[in-house]
Parts: sequence; C-alpha cells; structure tokens
Amino acid sequence: MPYNPTRALELLRIGTQNQTAFFREGQEDAIRHVVEGKGRLLVVQKTGWGKSFVYFIATKLLREQGGGPALLVSPLLALMRNQIAAAQRMGVRAVTINSENRDDWQDAESMLSQDVVDILLISPERLANEHFRAQVLPQMGARISLVVIDEAHCISDWGHDFRPHYRLIERIVRTLPQNVKLLGTTATANRRVLDDLKAVLGSDLTISRGELARPSLFLQTIRLPGQAERLAWLAETLTTLPGNGIIYTLTVRDAAQVAGWLKSRGHNVEAYTGDTGERRVELENSLLGNSVKALVATTALGMGFDKPDLAFVIHFQTPGSAVAYYQQVGRAGRALSSAYGVVLSGIEETRINDYFIESAFPSRKEVEEVLRALHSEPSGLSVPQLMARANVSYGRINKTLQLLSLETPSPIVKQDTKWVLTAANLAETFWERAERLTALRREEQKQMQAYVALEAGHMEFLVKALDGEPGAYQPPDLPPLPTTARPASVREAVAFLRRTSLPLEPRKQWPTGGLPQFAVKGYIAEEHRAEPGRVLCIWGDAGWGETVRLGKYTQGYFPDELVSACATLVQGWNPKPAPAWVTAVPSTRHPRLVPDFARRLAAALQIPFQQVLEKSDDRPEQKTMANGIKQALNIDGALAVAPGTTIPPGPVLLVDDMVDSRWTLTVAAWMLRSHGSGLVYPLALASTAHT
Amino acid sequence: MIPPLTPNSQAILLLTGPLIAGRNAAAVELLTPGEYNRFAKVLKELQRQPSDLLGQDVSGILEDCRKIVEPTRVKQLLDRGLLLSQAVDNWHARSIWVISRADPSYPKRLKSRLKEESPAILYGCGDLELLERGGLAVVGSRHVDDSLLEYTEGIGRLAANAGMTLVSGGARGIDQASMRGASLAGGSVVGVLSDSLQRAALARDNREGLLDGRLAMISPYDPAAGFNVGHAMQRNKLIYALADAALVVTSDFKKGGTWTGAVEQLDKLKFCPIFVRTGSEAGKGNEALIRRGASPWPEPKSSAMLKAAIENSASSLVREAWQEDLPLVMEAPLKNSYAPEQAPVEATSASTIANDENGERSDESAKLLLATVRSLLMTGLAKPATVDEVAAMLEVSKPQVKVWLGKLVESGDIEKLGRPLRYRAKRQ
Repeated sequence: MPYNPTRALELLRIGTQNQTAFFREGQEDAIRHVVEGKGRLLVVQKTGWGKSFVYFIATKLLREQGGGPALLVSPLLALMRNQIAAAQRMGVRAVTINSENRDDWQDAESMLSQDVVDILLISPERLANEHFRAQVLPQMGARISLVVIDEAHCISDWGHDFRPHYRLIERIVRTLPQNVKLLGTTATANRRVLDDLKAVLGSDLTISRGELARPSLFLQTIRLPGQAERLAWLAETLTTLPGNGIIYTLTVRDAAQVAGWLKSRGHNVEAYTGDTGERRVELENSLLGNSVKALVATTALGMGFDKPDLAFVIHFQTPGSAVAYYQQVGRAGRALSSAYGVVLSGIEETRINDYFIESAFPSRKEVEEVLRALHSEPSGLSVPQLMARANVSYGRINKTLQLLSLETPSPIVKQDTKWVLTAANLAETFWERAERLTALRREEQKQMQAYVALEAGHMEFLVKALDGEPGAYQPPDLPPLPTTARPASVREAVAFLRRTSLPLEPRKQWPTGGLPQFAVKGYIAEEHRAEPGRVLCIWGDAGWGETVRLGKYTQGYFPDELVSACATLVQGWNPKPAPAWVTAVPSTRHPRLVPDFARRLAAALQIPFQQVLEKSDDRPEQKTMANGIKQALNIDGALAVAPGTTIPPGPVLLVDDMVDSRWTLTVAAWMLRSHGSGLVYPLALASTAHT
Repeated sequence: MIPPLTPNSQAILLLTGPLIAGRNAAAVELLTPGEYNRFAKVLKELQRQPSDLLGQDVSGILEDCRKIVEPTRVKQLLDRGLLLSQAVDNWHARSIWVISRADPSYPKRLKSRLKEESPAILYGCGDLELLERGGLAVVGSRHVDDSLLEYTEGIGRLAANAGMTLVSGGARGIDQASMRGASLAGGSVVGVLSDSLQRAALARDNREGLLDGRLAMISPYDPAAGFNVGHAMQRNKLIYALADAALVVTSDFKKGGTWTGAVEQLDKLKFCPIFVRTGSEAGKGNEALIRRGASPWPEPKSSAMLKAAIENSASSLVREAWQEDLPLVMEAPLKNSYAPEQAPVEATSASTIANDENGERSDESAKLLLATVRSLLMTGLAKPATVDEVAAMLEVSKPQVKVWLGKLVESGDIEKLGRPLRYRAKRQ
C-alpha cells in the first residue's frame, strides 16, 4: 500500500502530543517499509526510542487504506498502558486479551467480529490457549494483515530470556505466508540472536539497528555478600540518592522483604512483582508520578515500562546475564543527563541464578515419568491425574508438558482437557538444545561476575557483550556511591530479618481424588480446617533459616533462641481466641526433635503441652515426594490419635519444624478438630516451599 | 519427518482449504474445485505460480483473473494467512503434514494415474514413502459379520507376509479389518481416509505403526472434517490409484460406495486389476462385478501364490489399458472431482507426464497425441494463426500449444512467421 508521509507525521504529532515532533532516525523508514509491504522487518532499538510508534502508525495507515487489523504479541502487555494511551490519541483502536482481563474478553471478541479493532494485543501464552485458538483466532486470523512480534529476541534460543511460548510464535511464523506483513522489535539482539531471527523470520529479513550505549548512565558495582549488609546499604543510600527509581531483586520473596525493610526504615517504597495483581497500574502510576521513592520489583516490572526521568536502577542481586542487565538498567536516565545504575552482588545470587538455570528444563527423569504415565493411558490424562501417577511436582509437570508440547514434532498434544501422546517421539535435539542453553546461561552468569569485578569501563563491557560498536564512553559527572554500610545499620537489618515471619494459609480442599484411607474428599468442612498460621523463616535464609537448618541436621536439637523467637512471634501474632495448649506433629525419624521444642515453647507461653497424635504407619519423608498430591497420599492413613488420649477442647497451637505442601498440617488439623479440639493454629519453623 | 510447507501449498490451501481451527471462520466462499481449475489455468497462461499470489503484484494478477473469480473474493481468501499458520500449527502438533501437487514429494502414483484429477492438497500422517510402493487394495462394506471380518484380517496377514503394502480406506468393517490384519502381522499399511484424519493421527492403535514407518494415512480433506458421503466416494479413486491390484471383499448390488468405486474402475479408470471374492456367500454385488470384467479372487494360500496372482493380472491389464487410454490431455475432466483439471505448477504437457513412473506407456500416448494434433493443424493452419488462435481452436492452454508448435516446427511440418508471431502449415 502507498505510504503517506504527511499523514504519518501528523499521527506522530498527535500521538506524542507535541506539535513540533519529528521522527527519530530510522522510525519513518521502518513505517514506510511496513506500509509498502517490502518484506519482513526487524527493528533493533533501545527502549524509549519509540518502537511502538512504528507499529501503531503503520497499523493506522494500513487501516485507513482498508487493510486488515494488526496482531501484536508481547510478553508483558500489562505494562503497555503508556503506549496504548498514545495509540488511542492517534485513533488506533487497540484491544488487549490477556489472562488478567478475563472480564473484558467477551466485549473484545464481539468488537473483533465487528471489525472495529485496529490492533489486538496478546501475550504469547494466549496463542497456546484453547479457547483463544478455537474461538477468537479463526475469526480474526482470517483478516490480519500485520503481525508484530514485540521483544522478538525471545524467539531466539540464544536470547537472554528465551520464553517457551515464543517457540509457538516461531512455529506460526515459519508457516505464515509472505503476504502477511511481519515486524519484529527488540531492544537487544547480539549477533547470535540476529542469526537465529534470520533463520526463523527469513533470510531476506531487513534489520534496522540503532546505537547501544547510554551515555547518561553512571554504572557501578559493589560486592556486599550478606543480605543484611545490602539491606543496610539500601536504607542508607536511599536517603541521599536524588530522584526516583527501581530496585530489582531476583525473587518475589526478596522483593517483599526488601520493601518491608525499607518501609520499616521510613522509606516510601512498594513491592512490585508477578503477585501484585490488580495493584500494578496504581503502583506504576505512583512511580511515574514520583509519589513513591522507588518500586522494589522483580523483572515483572520490565519491558515496556517507560519513565524518562527514572534516576536510578539498583540491583539487590546480580542478574543472570549482561543482556538482561542492559535492558533493566537501560530504563534509567532516558531523558536525564545523568542517572545511577548500580549492581549489588550478594552471596545468595549464585544459588538463585543456579536454580533458575537448573530448573529451566525438565530433567530426563521428569520427562520419562510424564511420558510413561501418558503412555499408560491411551485416552490421555489431565494434570491432576498426572500428578497422582508421576512423582513430579505440579510446577515441574506443567513445565514439562509445556516444553514438550512446544517441540516440533511434538510428542504430546492437548485434546480438550487431557494430554495425549502423538505419533512422534521426543527428538534427541530437545536435550541437545537444553544442554546448549544451560551452557550458555552458565557463560552469561560468569560474564556477569566479571562485570561485578570491574573497576571501570562498565558501559564498554556491556556494549561489547551485546556485540555493539566498540568505543570509549565518558560516564556522567556523578560521585560514586559508598561501597559499605555502617555496622549499626547492619545490626538493625539482622534484627529485622529475625522478626519477620511468613503467613501460612490453610488448605480448603482435599487433593483431587481425595484421601481414600481417611475417606475424605472434596471441600474440607470449615469446622475441620486449620486457621491461618505462621512460619518463622525461610529454610536457609539470613534470619533464622541457618539456625533451623543446623538444629535439624547437625545438632539434632532446636536451641532456646528459636524458642524465644517463636514465643515473640506468637505474642506479636496474637491469634484470637488465644491458644490454650500446644501439641506437635509426630515423626518416626526424629521422635523427640519437634515435641521437645514444642514443650519448651509451651513453657515459654505458659500453657500446657500435650502430645496427642502419633504416626500409625512408617512412610518415606515428605521431602522425597515431588508434588502436593503425592505428599497428600503419603500422609493418607499414616497419622492417628494415640490410643487412650483425650483431646483437650481449647484452641491449640500445632507445631512442626518444616512446611512445604501443608498436607501434614492440614491432615493433623482435621484429625484434631474432628476429635474435639478447638481452633488449630499451625506454626512451623521454616518453609521449604519454592515461590 | 514432516515435510515443510511450500509457498505454493500455502497459496493453494488459502484458496481451497477450509482451514478448520475450532469455530469455523467467517463465511468467505472457498474456490470450488472447478473454479480453482479454471483459475489455475489462467495463472499458468500468465506464466505465474500460485505462490505469486502471496507477492506484491497480487492485485495485477487478480485483475487478470477477473473473468474467472471476482478479485475481492480471492483477496479475502488470501487474507487468511494467520488462520492458515494456526491451522498448520494444529496439524503439525499432531504430526500431520500437508503437501500440494506442486511439491516434489507428492505421491507419483496419484499424479500419474489421476493426472489432473489428483487432489491439489493432500493431508497425511506417517511416512510418505509408503505411498510409492503400490500393494494390494482391499475394499468392502462397513457392515459385515464377524466371519467375514476374520476372513479379511487373513487377507491383510497374507499381504503382510508377502511383503506387500496393504491399501484401504480406514472405514469400519472391511477396511479396518484388512488394515488390522496386515498391521498385526508387521506389514505396511496405507489408509486413505475420507474424514477425521486428526483423530486417527492420535489414535493409540495407530501410534506404533506411524512411529515404525509401517503406517501412513492420507486424506484429501481437512483433518478436522467429519464424515461426508461424497468425500467417501471420491476417496475410492485414491485407494485404487495407490495399489497394484485391488480386492473387493463384498459389495452391494448397484448401490453403495464399494459398488460405485469398483464400477468406475472397471468401466472407465482401470487404474489396476480388480479381483472380487467369489463363492456361494459372495452375494449379488460381487457376481455382478465379475460379469462387468473383474477377476475372481483365486484365494491364494501363500505369499508366492498371492504375488503370482497379482503379477499375472497386472501384466494383462497394462496391455489392455494402453490401447484404450487415449487421448490424455484433451479428455473432458470427470465430474465431481476435488482436483483442478490442470495442475497449477507441474506441467501437464505430454512430455512431462512421460517422466512419470508409467513412462513408457505415456510416451507412446504422447506420440499418438502429437500425431493427432499434427493432422488437425495441417488443415487448421492452412492460413497463418497466432498461438492464441491455435489455443482457442484446440481449446487447450497456450503453454500446451507452444509445446506442440515447437515440436512441429522442429519436425518441419509447420513454419514460423514473424511480426506478429504466427504459425502456418508447410505445403507438402
């Protein structure tokens, strides 16, 4: 279709709300390329350059000439609100369908069928969704004239955050006829990623590539091994640091903890993670409007978040790769003359990054178990049915199913609600890719440790890691931040970590299929459920985690400091009505460990202790059971009220050392309550659950 | 294992495929086989391929084809690109491939026997190579008693033991019994389905055969398409075309798919020799087929006897066939075909067909055909005429006319005149 430069510029000015705006270098060429249908295009430009203007203006121009709507696939749509607002100003009717706006789907679908949508924005996961594939795509897939793949580097195996569902995009793009226009956009693509993208999108792919270096960033790396030291450093530094920014953590739990700590020190910060849910918009707006000092975020706050005056990006732990780091730190200082980008390096980051690397692919054993279970059932199995047959955790089963189904040819496929085997075996290339990617991740991890060790030349290092044009960069004139924290602040951080407990939500339902030996299934009656409980710490963490670990496996005894920590926890928690007695979960392997601890806790709380439950059958340890259903079945029939015991009627504090799936506590609470106890408050020393 | 989807196949699928992916797409009318035939013919005259419809000058091409199909309708069909990739992804996820007649991997037996009747699109699962091996076709009714099923399984076993591929239609009754017999005996099986390929591709009973390369299933219909009587009838031709010989186990008299398919073979298509089961219980349909020219099934008891029976019948058929087989190109197409009368990319000129597996026979035919054309043109070109005029005179495509004229110029029967380019018969 012909390209109209006057109209394009007009749209840009409406979209940017700037009557004197002009296109940035490369922007107009990209729009023209798409509109004129000159073949597939990849735009590699740093965040903030205005990639969204390319596809929104191109979409509008195509639609104004009678073309079909556009489909945009992006991993984090929730964060595209700024761009969507600009699109709406230009008269581009954009509709989003993602897992978070289920209520709007019906409206969106009817708008699509009436052809009043110019661009549909979806997450890659949508493409795998049965409903979407069966109900929405057939209708609109019949008209789409432009497909936009945002964050296209995710397609590449070599991309730093390869996402499984982008394999689905890859499959679809490979069979997409040339008459559908295709535009990929990304901020980061090194040479290997570009080669991969050419293989998928076609060798005649046109690439529009911009400059990588960000001259406004002052980059610094500081090693502070302990969590407490880094918490203390953050609390001190935030007081003097000008402007507003983002503090990145590797895990959701860390984000909550860092935010909790900083708030307790009087800082105006909020945690922002994948669990934040509906508050995301509100939190983004508070950062955009500078009404919070910082968001403490996981990568959930990422691609697409655009705050030109972001003054700092601090990493609480070293991220897994240079490309990922470049993307995250690149959000700072877009429209400022200077901004800080600081990496704090801590002792636990290697363990966390290792976990991410090692859990990225299912193990051979997990794959074998899942395939064997599916083979045994020709009509297929649902996920809960698989959990009862394969000793693989819920998360790992889903990960295994997902990765296998995205293979080509795929050894399994989902028919309605059940997974079935196809007429293809899993190719050995699956494992080759897994090994290759794991090795790559290790390399990237090593590269980031080299980055952390740098004294100077941080920007040069990053540009080189990204295969950009080498050069020398003069960092902005900012004072370096201090590299240590005051001992007094560190002590306060330790105390904070030690008084932080975690909530323990009671289970409300028996596992799929029930517990046959106890003859229970379905919902757990309210009068048989546990109340909300507490966990003292996370297994192995910097607060009490290490003490619990030593007590359990080295000393065979939980020291008195844990007793007083738990007593303080219960007093602070103060559940109503207050527990009138204490009991412990029995164990055949360590028969005295927990009851002994519970007895001392009871004494500290000045209420009686009574052991009423016993193990009626010797079973393998819960930690050898890989998923919740297996753990539930492992406890089924194995617990009983000791013969000749009378259960006291009052509310009871139920103590255990470790908690993971919560099935043991659920069964124990059910047993206590159905034998006449009052409310049951579970209390565990450490949580081993992965979050 | 899954052959890649070529641009020509993409274009043909967009024009003719329902692309069933869940709820059916908005009603854009697909090109019917007849429409696609004519459309493909014009494309060929324009020296274009279906894949050119996916390029930048599509509007011009569609304008040139306006007399066949309204451009906006074709445009709407071609706009279904994303839907196409979705549908293909659904198929690939189930190990189903899709090829078109334009692909080199298209089964040669179908092309050489069905010619312009061969399905433009073929969906399938399993090893394509199995379709090149010929074998014994077994057909019969859906509703039969257990003893006949047992008998038919025995035929399947016999074929397997003789190392012959068994070809059948995958329907209940005789089809499935023959395939089961062959499969359980470790033989190769080809199923030509008229519906629900998607379901068959995932059926556990088929999995081992598909994985071991002993089973291939194909269908000219969308893998998600359900049962349809017309489709089932059309599919019969493909079964016969893929086999070296066929056995009708049981047929109704003057009704049903088995009867119609067998009669069409005996009277008209003659793709392979046809045997019919005889005996007191064989029934009226079977007897009638023998009266129409089918051979009584000799009830071979060993692999050697089976091979001998089929080899004998095959050699007699080839002799018979090539006397009646003409003309090749000018014959009017059969009715109700799913296939274009003229393949879009692969040339249907006599010289190309000569390269197919029945090379010798086609080559003879081509000579006979050229002789016929020569005698027509020696009178028809008494006055000079352009290629267009000759094409109109013979009612064939321009590229075909060019092939013939080239040969006749070379043999000195016809001469070329310049400005404008015309041809004239040389005075003898």
